[in-house]
Amino acid sequence: MKSRGTLENLQSWLPKVKLSSLSGWSVFWVLLLLPAFVWAQDAATQAMSVEYRDIPGIGSRNLVWVVAQQHLLLAGFVLGVPIFAWICEIVGWRSKEPRYDKLAKEFTKLLTSAYATTALFGGILLFLLISLYPKLMAYLTDVFYPTFIVYCILFLLETATLYMYWYGWDAMQGNKKAFHIFLGFLLNLFALGIMIVPNSWATFQASPVVLGDGTAIERAWAAMQNPTWWPVNIHRLIANVVLGGFICGAYAGVRYLLAQSREEKEHYDWMGYVGNFIGVFGMLPLPFAGYWLMREVYQYNQQMGITLMGGFLAWLFILQAMLIGVLFLGANYYFWMGITYRIPGSEQSYKRPILAMLIVLMVCLGVWMTPHSLVASLAEARLMGGTHHPLLGVFGVMSAKMTVANLMILVTFMSFIMYWRAGKQETATWAKIAKSVMGALLAIAGIAVIVLGVWGYFVPAIIRINYFSVAQVLIVLFIMVTFTPLTALLMKSAKTTTEMVWGLMPIRAGYALVLNAVMVILLMSLMGYARSSSRVHWHIYGVMRDTSEYAYSPALGYAAAFMSLNTFLFCLLVAFIFWVATMGDKAKKGPDQGQPAEEPTKIPGGVAPAMAGGAPRKGEQALKI
Amino acid sequence: MSEVALLQLIGLIVVGLGVFILLFIKGKFLRVVGFVVIVLGGFSLIALSVPQMASLPPAIETFDITQVKTSNDLASIGQKIFFSKGQCALCHSIGPSESARCPDLNGIGAKLAPEFIYESLTQPQAYIYLDFRHDGVPEEYPARMPYINKNPIALSKQEIFSVIAFLQKMSGEPVSIKVEDVLRESENGEMKVASVAVHGAQSTND
Repeated sequence: MKSRGTLENLQSWLPKVKLSSLSGWSVFWVLLLLPAFVWAQDAATQAMSVEYRDIPGIGSRNLVWVVAQQHLLLAGFVLGVPIFAWICEIVGWRSKEPRYDKLAKEFTKLLTSAYATTALFGGILLFLLISLYPKLMAYLTDVFYPTFIVYCILFLLETATLYMYWYGWDAMQGNKKAFHIFLGFLLNLFALGIMIVPNSWATFQASPVVLGDGTAIERAWAAMQNPTWWPVNIHRLIANVVLGGFICGAYAGVRYLLAQSREEKEHYDWMGYVGNFIGVFGMLPLPFAGYWLMREVYQYNQQMGITLMGGFLAWLFILQAMLIGVLFLGANYYFWMGITYRIPGSEQSYKRPILAMLIVLMVCLGVWMTPHSLVASLAEARLMGGTHHPLLGVFGVMSAKMTVANLMILVTFMSFIMYWRAGKQETATWAKIAKSVMGALLAIAGIAVIVLGVWGYFVPAIIRINYFSVAQVLIVLFIMVTFTPLTALLMKSAKTTTEMVWGLMPIRAGYALVLNAVMVILLMSLMGYARSSSRVHWHIYGVMRDTSEYAYSPALGYAAAFMSLNTFLFCLLVAFIFWVATMGDKAKKGPDQGQPAEEPTKIPGGVAPAMAGGAPRKGEQALKI
Repeated sequence: MSEVALLQLIGLIVVGLGVFILLFIKGKFLRVVGFVVIVLGGFSLIALSVPQMASLPPAIETFDITQVKTSNDLASIGQKIFFSKGQCALCHSIGPSESARCPDLNGIGAKLAPEFIYESLTQPQAYIYLDFRHDGVPEEYPARMPYINKNPIALSKQEIFSVIAFLQKMSGEPVSIKVEDVLRESENGEMKVASVAVHGAQSTND
């Protein structure tokens, strides 16, 4: 009846067309369109069965590689900068030092444009993955789709909080500052969520778990809780702080080089110090997080661990050692230049310790970079008695590398302590005892790290990994957590003998800051390649095999060329974001282009002297935070 | 020109460009760009100077089930599966081992009936709730015995029979799995197992 009614309606719409002829037309159209329906169904079936699509010339994997790397680096930047800005804001709030607040605001301003760029690359990446890897994406969607909803909600919350945080900055000063700080906390909390949800997708690919029956949420939750999820979360969180800090440092370094006036030089010299400080402090625990991640990888799948550390990726870790070594040297060099140029007269008293530290760092770097197996000709291998050099081969194993990594962290930490103490005279009655205790602890820690390292050669690997390496890490952490408050206490009552002078650093200081940022970006690209390659020919390790023509992992040289390209592109993007974000400031300055946008800032008075890198005025003592 | 040589040439040109900028360009920002370019080019050149190893995927080896004549043939295939597609050796050892995370399977074929082994592989939760670990309290993950007949390992029935045959043979027991049983289970007369080749680390250095 219903269909007849419909036909009658149609007839009333088309009064000139007879019902019979309408039926005839219907049959005609159905017959005409039938092949189209069948073809559409075929096309749909075919589309469902397409596993890969390629882009001729460029290659689907290369394109995804570049876009994914840009997205990840930008994501690291937009997640690292709020942490950096929030810390600065808290320090400024507690110390009532407006310079920190200005610095925090200056970097939060970047977030709006950086956030949009990150989302843009995320969107491009998603479209590329859906188009080029449909089978993989269908599987991941099936497992993770409940998390997509959570991810979207987090994005909405993050965006709303970011708008309130940025646009409410000036309105929420004074009594409302605490609420603004709370908004900053929420911003970072949501950002953490935005980071850890996709981390679960990527870590599931590397270390999938057996998914049993259950609801979609239960399956997604089980997949999220894969063994490398939290190690990667922690590692990335710290790495993002490091990236944010060093990019801030690089920005300050470039602006320092471009600065025309004394005020600008002072401002950007100080900003460079703060960026380097946060970068270094994030960098110190990073190797420990990396160690935990590798340990979990080994526990999950020994073969994967071997592929990374002893298989075709083994040489990658020599490159990693080189990059980390240059980063450590760059960060220390910047501290040492600070002692020399910002605290006049200090260079003489610290010349020897600096030289000793440089030697230790270079020796450690040499050991870290020593490969286990040397590239040698047949004749050379015969002379050595194998590919392992009789002497250097000893340094090619993990026991030696863990030892020197810990020693380099200790040296870098001591560079910072030295910088902190430079130009000041302790006045506390217990200062001498405290310094003696610290000296003794440092010597014992250094010796203990070396002894455990040497001992590690004579015990089974499992003992070394589970106990000795962990003990080395704990010793270094113990030094860091005891020396920092002790030095803070000492400096609280210390008298300034040499006032800190900002803006006199040589131009190579600016280049050192840029170098540090480039090293961090390269490191992130390198380790991204390592993590991805450790899955070898699997999209999802052991679950979904890569059957495309790109199922191989490229050699290091080819990969390094891509890493360099990605690093360069990312640097250009960041430079563009900084340029866009500061365009308004330049306009506000008006005709006096050389002057900063706001009132010339004071040389930091050192209310938070460690982070400020500043000392109180000569003869003054530090204030309470 | 090989790929490595081409990339080296590009790296050298990039570094040369950076040096040119630093030597002849006065603009400070461009000089920073030149510096970055030198660093990146230098990094690429160093990476190109270390041994160039690409990881190639292993080929899929196909076993024609009709060629299996004896129980020993079956056990031989089972051994390959044990150390490759089955991933058994990633956790289990045959004989005492420092690095093994799960029970030693030495002599297991003599201790357990084939039906029990089959059930342990396909329904591990029926008897095992927590896995063995070296030290500490047993944890649910990562050492939990996976369902061997499901993803990620997903052995077929014939492949599981072959592994059981291997476990029996390795334990010095007569192989009780009948070739006819395996043939009966076979649907198309062919079963595929992963290659036993080491995950193809192959040199691409010229």
